[in-house]
Amino acid sequence: MKLNITILLLASSLLFGSCTDELLNTIPPSSLTDINYYNDANDMEKAVLGIYAKMQSRKPNDYQLLELSSDNLYGSTNTGFAGIPEIDALAISPNNPILTAFWQESYAGIFRANAVISNIDKPKDYTESKKNQHLGEAKFMRALFYFDLVRTFGAVPKVLTALSIDEARQYKRSATEAIYDQIIQDLNDAIEKLPLKSALSRNRASKEAALALLGKVYVAKKDWTNAETVLRQFFTSYGDNYMLVADYNQLWSLENENNSEVLFSIGYTDGTNGQDLSTAFVPNGGIYNLVSRGSEVALPSWSLHKKIQADDTRLRKTVESNYFSAVSGGQNAIYFPYASKFIVKHTALAAGLDLPVLRLADVILLYAEALNENGKLGDAITQLNKIRQRAFGSQNHNYSIDQLTQKDQFVTALLDERQIELAFECERWYDLVRQGKMTAVMKVEERNYNPSSQIAQKVTLSPKDYMHLFPIPQTEIDLVGKTILEQNPGY
Amino acid sequence: MAKLTNISCLLLCATCGASPLFSVAQQAMTYNGLVKDKQLNVGLAGATIRTSSGKYTSTDNEGKFQLLTSPGDSLTITSVGYDSYRVALTSTPTLIIPLVKSATQLEETVVIGYGSIKKSSLTASVSKIENKNLDQVPSARPETALQGRLPGLNISQTRSTPGAAPVIRIRGIGSISAGNDPLLVVDGFPGASWSNINANDIESIEVLKDASAASIYGSRASGGVIIITTRTGKAGKPVVRANVLAGWSQPILHDDFMNSQEYYETIIKYQNREYFYVGGDTSLPLWGDSRRPAGYQVNPDILNGNDVNWQNAVTKNAPFQSYDLSVTGGTEQSKYYLSAVYKDQQGTLLNTFFKSYGMRASVDTKINERFQIGAMLNPTYQSARTSPLTMDSYNKYPPFVAIQNPDGSYPKARDYWGFNVSSQANPMGILMGTNNQGQTLSALGNIYAVYKILDGLTLKTTLNANMFYNNTDKFQASWASNTGLSSGSAADSRIITLLNENTLNYNRTFAQHHDVSLMAGASYQKATSRNINLLAVNGTFNNNIIETLNNALINPNGSNTLKSVWGMISYFGRANYAYKEKYLLSASIRTDGSSRFGPDNKWGLFPSASAAWRISKENFMLDQELISDFKLRASLGNSGNMNIGDFAYLGLVTGGLYTVNDQTQNWLAQSSFGNNKLSWEKTNEFDLGIDLSFWTNRLSITADYYRKRTKNLLYQVSIPSTTGFTSSLSNIGEIENKGFEFDLNSKNLIGKLKWNTNFNFSFNRNKVINLGGVNERMTSISYGMNWLLRVGEPMFSYYGYKHIGVFQREEQLNSLPKLTGEKLGNPIYEDINKDGKITADDRSILGNFMPKSYWGMTNAFSYRNFDLSFTLQAVIGSKMYNFENQFYQGSVLGNMRKSLVAGSWWSPQEPGDGHTPALSLSQLSFNANSDLYIEDASFLALRNINFGYTFPTDLSSKMGIKSLRLFTSVNNAFLLTKKGFHAYNPEGYTGGEVGGISSTPGYNVGSEPISRVYTFGLNLSF
Repeated sequence: MKLNITILLLASSLLFGSCTDELLNTIPPSSLTDINYYNDANDMEKAVLGIYAKMQSRKPNDYQLLELSSDNLYGSTNTGFAGIPEIDALAISPNNPILTAFWQESYAGIFRANAVISNIDKPKDYTESKKNQHLGEAKFMRALFYFDLVRTFGAVPKVLTALSIDEARQYKRSATEAIYDQIIQDLNDAIEKLPLKSALSRNRASKEAALALLGKVYVAKKDWTNAETVLRQFFTSYGDNYMLVADYNQLWSLENENNSEVLFSIGYTDGTNGQDLSTAFVPNGGIYNLVSRGSEVALPSWSLHKKIQADDTRLRKTVESNYFSAVSGGQNAIYFPYASKFIVKHTALAAGLDLPVLRLADVILLYAEALNENGKLGDAITQLNKIRQRAFGSQNHNYSIDQLTQKDQFVTALLDERQIELAFECERWYDLVRQGKMTAVMKVEERNYNPSSQIAQKVTLSPKDYMHLFPIPQTEIDLVGKTILEQNPGY
Repeated sequence: MAKLTNISCLLLCATCGASPLFSVAQQAMTYNGLVKDKQLNVGLAGATIRTSSGKYTSTDNEGKFQLLTSPGDSLTITSVGYDSYRVALTSTPTLIIPLVKSATQLEETVVIGYGSIKKSSLTASVSKIENKNLDQVPSARPETALQGRLPGLNISQTRSTPGAAPVIRIRGIGSISAGNDPLLVVDGFPGASWSNINANDIESIEVLKDASAASIYGSRASGGVIIITTRTGKAGKPVVRANVLAGWSQPILHDDFMNSQEYYETIIKYQNREYFYVGGDTSLPLWGDSRRPAGYQVNPDILNGNDVNWQNAVTKNAPFQSYDLSVTGGTEQSKYYLSAVYKDQQGTLLNTFFKSYGMRASVDTKINERFQIGAMLNPTYQSARTSPLTMDSYNKYPPFVAIQNPDGSYPKARDYWGFNVSSQANPMGILMGTNNQGQTLSALGNIYAVYKILDGLTLKTTLNANMFYNNTDKFQASWASNTGLSSGSAADSRIITLLNENTLNYNRTFAQHHDVSLMAGASYQKATSRNINLLAVNGTFNNNIIETLNNALINPNGSNTLKSVWGMISYFGRANYAYKEKYLLSASIRTDGSSRFGPDNKWGLFPSASAAWRISKENFMLDQELISDFKLRASLGNSGNMNIGDFAYLGLVTGGLYTVNDQTQNWLAQSSFGNNKLSWEKTNEFDLGIDLSFWTNRLSITADYYRKRTKNLLYQVSIPSTTGFTSSLSNIGEIENKGFEFDLNSKNLIGKLKWNTNFNFSFNRNKVINLGGVNERMTSISYGMNWLLRVGEPMFSYYGYKHIGVFQREEQLNSLPKLTGEKLGNPIYEDINKDGKITADDRSILGNFMPKSYWGMTNAFSYRNFDLSFTLQAVIGSKMYNFENQFYQGSVLGNMRKSLVAGSWWSPQEPGDGHTPALSLSQLSFNANSDLYIEDASFLALRNINFGYTFPTDLSSKMGIKSLRLFTSVNNAFLLTKKGFHAYNPEGYTGGEVGGISSTPGYNVGSEPISRVYTFGLNLSF
């Protein structure tokens, strides 16, 4: 009998001993791991879309950092949003959660781009053109993320491969110049590898987009010679493929997302894969016929509103003053100006409208800026007038060489034009900083205009030169130490 | 093998020992006996009679038995709770056997993991509750009935929705991310769910509080262990027991919401204040003057005769009923237990309910002297309908909105006041037009076999299965939605857990004085889960009638199937040694291997040791009568926590959608950092205890001091985002909990009038010891409140400004330090560092959600056939961040509570009481970042009062009834909170408890009213 028991025990322990693997070394049934990914061309395709997806999630929030800081938007009291009040008051602390998220999301995008670039040779089953395309897309996106970082923070850590946690703790900032060099190198690679937009899609990086972005990078760097060269090259090579959309309002419609002006935009699908930017500026009560409810995070400043002339066709798609709430039945408008650019008929918080990253009007104005800086004022005015003419539907508002005789005068006109043309597209802050106008312009911001009394609320701010760069997020500094990640001066 | 067969034959014969057909002994005769309680002189049913020749029988309902055996045999008579009795048979055919109640309460046994032990031999801190009247406390869940009953066990009902699970904590909170729930072991199945348990089926509940007791459950025992032993069959005639309860729940509501006139007057002041803040001229007409912007106007149409108190409109007195039935019986060889339960509880919030159907069947059979098998099956079905929104969404709705239009539609506030006022849908519409339901079917089952290898050595093998199916269906009609869009989702989940456990137990007394018991075991567990999620695209339901998703478009972003799996292998052992029942030693060890951890750290080791000295057994203590028991205990133990995701140590690749040319496509990317070193969170606990009884246990006291340190905390540690990630699950940091527990049981009166008192209290101090390199970590929410983890302070303390007054006058603004942007009506903050400025450095710790002490007292009286008991519970020192207050101060132009706006700053002419600042959405960030909304959530509650009458035995037996008791009870008969506390429920937190690095424990927006519950019921057995 004792023998029986012993056998029983032995048998049971053997029985279960054999299932150690089954019990302890389980394999995730619903997820790949970093070990069995990037194996074939299809994996790389998914991985590349993953890079775009980071921009897809970051882009709709960029206005919180880049437009509320500028004189285009101010925070509505309707919505409490951690971090917005201090950006709005131009008192950005290193602990600001929006700033921190911008940094983190950008590096998350860079990580995905690096993963594609590092693993590009692993799959053996794609055609050479696909491989080139993916490499080009990854480099384009990496450049784009670094471009945003370098303009916002200046010198930042230059990460080009996957880092371990220990490596990351030792990783210092690279000089602004080194970051720009990397961006330019990546974009030149991208220009070489990427196919034309006609072979791809507006929602993926193309050769033209890479070239135009390179021009924009030179402008940001104030390397005017190269900027002019590259942008001229863009217009010479691809100028025929792109043209301004005749009606500015058509730029911001769902039917016309694939317009002749778009170089690269981030794609969204209403309801299932939408963005919330279209809801962000909608007044709390929604808008009749368009959306049932709004987030009302921010409202347009009077500083911007007052600059747009009544006969400027861009007004309606920038600031809409007559407000019809969702339940108004389209009757009895209330005076309540809201930022209308991205507002289309959409599912609340999940709009399908593409968000442009790079469009022709921006490139034309960049070219105009570079021409002016290189002393070609006449050519610059010609470029600027293309935008004016489209905006007013006639040449009546075109600038003449007599109006803008000085380089400086042109810069002022150009900045105003860019402010209106590219309002809420997150260019204003960078424009002011680049042209050294930030501290002058941002001293007073006008908000909350009362048409009866014709008085706007004037908010006095304290812009300082050091604010040209935002602070490095404190959480990042705390994690590596302030000798590794030095804070920008002034903070 | 031959021997075995012989034994089985013998046993089989013994089974039918009373039958002359199988009589094997010569000269046998029939004995008639009566087993009775010596003191009470009444027959004892179900007592076991065993002959020295191996025959069994048991007594009937009256305590009688009949046995055919030979004179010269001896009988051993045993009955639970009584000393066993031995008698040698003579030729006298009638026997009267008086049994004496077991001498001390300490002789009761206590279930510990994988075995049980005499309470007197315990070396660890274990509390036990026998189910004497838990089933008389009306509650949809059994754990609620334990509130205030045990020191060190805190049960808080954070949500009052029907069927909501309370939060249970044993000796504080030690884990940031891996959960702090105690492990629930039901009949040996670890990881069981409270919702499967029917209070009437519970035999006893044991709480293993210190790590020396809990560590036998190793890797899952960090939060303590609660063991539930359910009722099993008892030999004897069938006994039927029934409990029937019915009653109603009455929500305890606020009495200070404004009526529509008060609302109108206050909203005018509110709008004028807002207009003043943007520099407007408040003397302008309130309505119809274009010089005053629409956002600052007040529509006089809202004084339209409607006067709705929405709180009252959406709540009701809700009925409930509960039926419980059980049958137990069998012979000494085969016993059975069957029970069924049905509960139906309506929610006090309209259109919510909880229903539960359950049954349990168990059977135990002795195949022979050495071999016993048994099985248990416990299916439960539950169905609940829940509210889509928290309470604040309903009760703050403005009073000028009618509940319903004559045409049946539900008007919105914006229908009356087109602009400005909250754009939320009508609360009644939301409740009527939303159907969120969940159903759960779960079945716990086991089969076991026990084989007695030698005297004192037994082998037990158990196979457990727990099957869990849940489905959730949600639908919201377009007219019930704030966005005007219909929405819906459906989810199914299935979890199947299999567990095999094998234990060897050896108990023996050597040389009279050396009691030794040994246990060794092995356990194998595997759980697989599968989820299906379907989501409708918002607004795509074809109509508002069909609620299933075939009536809508499916949203690919949110529709998926997912599977997961985890497994564990464990080996464990325990040794107990006692010398003369005086010196007690115990040691245990467990090693667990888990699939959840990285290849470098799959296995964890959890040892423990404890010792006790029963001073009362020493010779010098034997001659006195004052102290009947006196024991000192000390223990050290190590337990673990593995509550992280199934594959958290791997670098997982997950994905989502990206749109290319209006087509959505899948993307995939690595979403987490792999960590091969990932390992257990470990808790070391030290416990010192004393058990003391006086006057033969009339008064007994248990007190414990403990110190618990949780190390290698599993949490998402922040990492530099240049890695591509912001956090990585790691083992870093240390938390300490130390405290004191006191428990007193007293039989104050034992005559005709009986009075028993239980009194207990406990203190717990929580402290962060180490955060892994950083000194503090902070979680912030919109509007500025922070939760701080700082070395040396309790976890997740509130951190913000102290408000010490209000800027009532212009000169204060100019002279006192303030935050940027502060103006008249905003709070004056304390300049903590006295630098003449208010900066982030002036923030300080403002309290903590964790209570400082817990108190409980139960008094039970009985006189003749009447009994009365009541349980008081007090919790002291907890602080709530009661953020919902801002809604009742008009922040969305909703209804307000008078107590919350009284004294606030309205204008330079009406500057308020100097303590209450200007309250509005636009000023919220100046209020919410301070202690203004932090309220003292201490309370004293009369949790239950129960009054019963038991029919006299002679009366009920005439009706063929064994016992019949009628009772009535009131739950939450009263609840006292501190002045200045505004929420419905002092334990009502909607922000969850500690569950990750970004936890906001103590945050409340919209917890439900608790209910006063009136019950009538009867307990019947026959």
